[in-house]
Amino acid sequence: MMVKTLPRTDVLIIGAGWTGLTAAYELAHAGQRCVVLERGRKRHTATSFSAPEEHDELKYAHRYAHMMDVKKETLTIRNNRDQQALPMRRLGSFLPGSGLGGAGIHWNGQLWRPLPSDLQMRSHYEERYGKDFIGPELSVQDWGVTYEELEPHLDFFERICGAAGQAGNLGGEARPGGNVFEGPRSADYPNPPMRQPVSNTLFGEAAARMGLNPFPMPSANVTRAYENPYGAQLHPCTYCGFCERFGCGYYAKADPIICVYDRIKDHENFEIRFDAQVLRIEKSADGKTATGAIYLDENGEEMFQPANTICMCAYALWNVHLMLVSGLGKPYDPKTRTGVVGRNYSYQTVAGVDAFFDRTVETDPYMGAGALGVVIDDFNGDNFDHSELGFVGGGYIACKQYHGRPIGYQPVPEGTPKWGAEWKRAVRENYNHHADLVVHGSSVSTPENYLDLDPTWTDAYGRPLLRMTFDFPENDRKMSDFMMQRAMEVAREMDNVTSVSGTNLAAVDKHYDIVPYQTTHNVGGAVIGTNPQTSVVNRYGQMWDHHNVFVFGACLFPQNLGYNPTGPLMGLAYWTLDHMKRDYLPNPAPLMDA
Amino acid sequence: MAKRFSRRAVLAQIAVGAGVAGFGFPIPHAYSASDDRPWAFFTDDEARWIAAVVDVFIPQDEFPSASQAGVVDFIDNQMATQYGEGDGLYLEPPFPAGVPEQGYQLEFTPAQLLRQGIEQARQLGEIATMDATARAAHVEELHQREGITSVLIAEIWKLTRQGYFADPIYLGNHDYAGWRMVGFPGAHAYYTERVDEHRRSVTPPPRGIAHDRGGSPFPPRAIRGGAE
Repeated sequence: MMVKTLPRTDVLIIGAGWTGLTAAYELAHAGQRCVVLERGRKRHTATSFSAPEEHDELKYAHRYAHMMDVKKETLTIRNNRDQQALPMRRLGSFLPGSGLGGAGIHWNGQLWRPLPSDLQMRSHYEERYGKDFIGPELSVQDWGVTYEELEPHLDFFERICGAAGQAGNLGGEARPGGNVFEGPRSADYPNPPMRQPVSNTLFGEAAARMGLNPFPMPSANVTRAYENPYGAQLHPCTYCGFCERFGCGYYAKADPIICVYDRIKDHENFEIRFDAQVLRIEKSADGKTATGAIYLDENGEEMFQPANTICMCAYALWNVHLMLVSGLGKPYDPKTRTGVVGRNYSYQTVAGVDAFFDRTVETDPYMGAGALGVVIDDFNGDNFDHSELGFVGGGYIACKQYHGRPIGYQPVPEGTPKWGAEWKRAVRENYNHHADLVVHGSSVSTPENYLDLDPTWTDAYGRPLLRMTFDFPENDRKMSDFMMQRAMEVAREMDNVTSVSGTNLAAVDKHYDIVPYQTTHNVGGAVIGTNPQTSVVNRYGQMWDHHNVFVFGACLFPQNLGYNPTGPLMGLAYWTLDHMKRDYLPNPAPLMDA
Repeated sequence: MAKRFSRRAVLAQIAVGAGVAGFGFPIPHAYSASDDRPWAFFTDDEARWIAAVVDVFIPQDEFPSASQAGVVDFIDNQMATQYGEGDGLYLEPPFPAGVPEQGYQLEFTPAQLLRQGIEQARQLGEIATMDATARAAHVEELHQREGITSVLIAEIWKLTRQGYFADPIYLGNHDYAGWRMVGFPGAHAYYTERVDEHRRSVTPPPRGIAHDRGGSPFPPRAIRGGAE
């Protein structure tokens, strides 16, 4: 087939989610002509996500109408190298998006910053516990960028989102009611915290009685009328209960369409093409730079878009896939433990605790919001002494009210039959008397958890599927069990609670399972760092092997921290864009010596 | 294979029905006068079998059983439309068996799974002649067996919960049976002033996307031959 070559652009951006649209905004304003290629369709918060049609639990939460289509692109999955990986034939464990705004339109809006020690995980643990504390079975490493360096960018993204929360550490000064463990903030949250329902409030009271430190979950569900630094107008949250897996037609959940796209779409340096599926990135004859991307346009015609600079802004997994099918960087080989692309894939270690109240506490679980929670961070990161525990990492424990939609929300006490008359009665009796606690744990990287290309199955474009080899490391099973015990202690301390049960998806006898939803927090595979032997990009997000390719998103995380990834990955995005504008574009060359 | 059945047309008709109801003219829908409405996907025998199984999952008590709430109609509609036809399902060969953690690995669309699975299951027992206890044991046995009937039962159980609790525009949850049972008010949701009151006001009566008092003008079809 003839490939049509289009006029050259300054910057080619692959993907129109949070990172891609933000890159376009910042670089277009820096005088760069930007072309954005989005594999999905055009849609808009005002016209595509309006209530009541959007409040269709079947269509969006169970038929995944906003998500990527596995018929076009999926991956294969296995727990270890001895198994044959098989296709993920249906979405389940995670839900990447497609279309304008990407997964950023159906997130929950849980907007976190990393702990300072999260970004220096290896050196921090070695300093506190000794050189051998992190065992050889883990490939945990430092990010190569510090909290102090990211802080202005984390702060700016909170203002883009109109984040609602309570500062716990304002410039080193402790603030009551906030997260006492957070790093120093240069500014408070732009909006006050969310209003809390009875379930979350009772959790916070119990935690406080136990000497723990509860605080309201930082939220991109906005709490009052707000204008962001780009001029976007956001509205107060209605607590409608349709947040994650749904778009917010109320303009109350920060998303990339209203917060960024609307503010850049008419700029003379901005162009976006929809239904534009990038097939591969092309390299120069010497292999040192990328020259542009081949993509299928909306008519299925192959196009070549030449560019001076490329920003890879697809979802974490698809950035890695695109590198592998394009021959960018050196693929990771677990047998020799060399190569970097696909190395250090990790996930999130999730456990749930159900607390059931007596009849006097009525929770009205349909009133909710994606980031409506009360949290303790006492067992996250290295906020607690690990010396006798035999594991690294941790997580937050939250009581959240966010998904009381009746197909998916059917909490019943332990021992209830799986269906039939008793099940039906238990659903009816407990729907309105339940608190939902989650343990949101970190995920360490190991030499055996990685991404490469599958030898058997292909996608709709004839490319090998991505192959995921992943199981929960022993470290994380221990961590998750420890965390779940702590969560159950708080649940038992809550007023009016009659029974408590827990489900640990990383329990000792369980393997990672692609079927039940866990989190859309796939991270790593193209990690950031200061050593080209162990990272795909340098500490500025620039590929070591191809200096005009910059990489964005959670694929940069060397291991996963105990928080949701959007805040940290957007902090990294603004950090990278800042260095592109100041250092790279005036003098396109490697920003670090390999 | 499945007869084509336009969900768009059904939804359009529901919208018209809701509009008419809004004017206060209780005009009976053409279908409601008759029990001769054809299934979009099922044969009558299949519908009878499905009705018996879904009522094992959700039997009648003070609230309707699954079939009384339209779950058979819901599943019939789902099988005849995009989901049943395999939307959102990667079906490229080969199809080697895997471990449960790798998820669904059969070569069938949901509609094919139900058609072939029901045929196999019906050879293993005549559910229509069993009493309630024997039906429950039979469904459990089908679920425990190696092979397609286990996947079939898991799929119908998933569809049963979806049909009992989804918006009535999909033909289940008739008269908001599922939503009334748990106290879910539906699609019209604004709770800013209530969320932190910490005392329960009366849950508003359920309203679905079509904002229809009864949820949908389509009552469940009669199950011929009796599914109790």
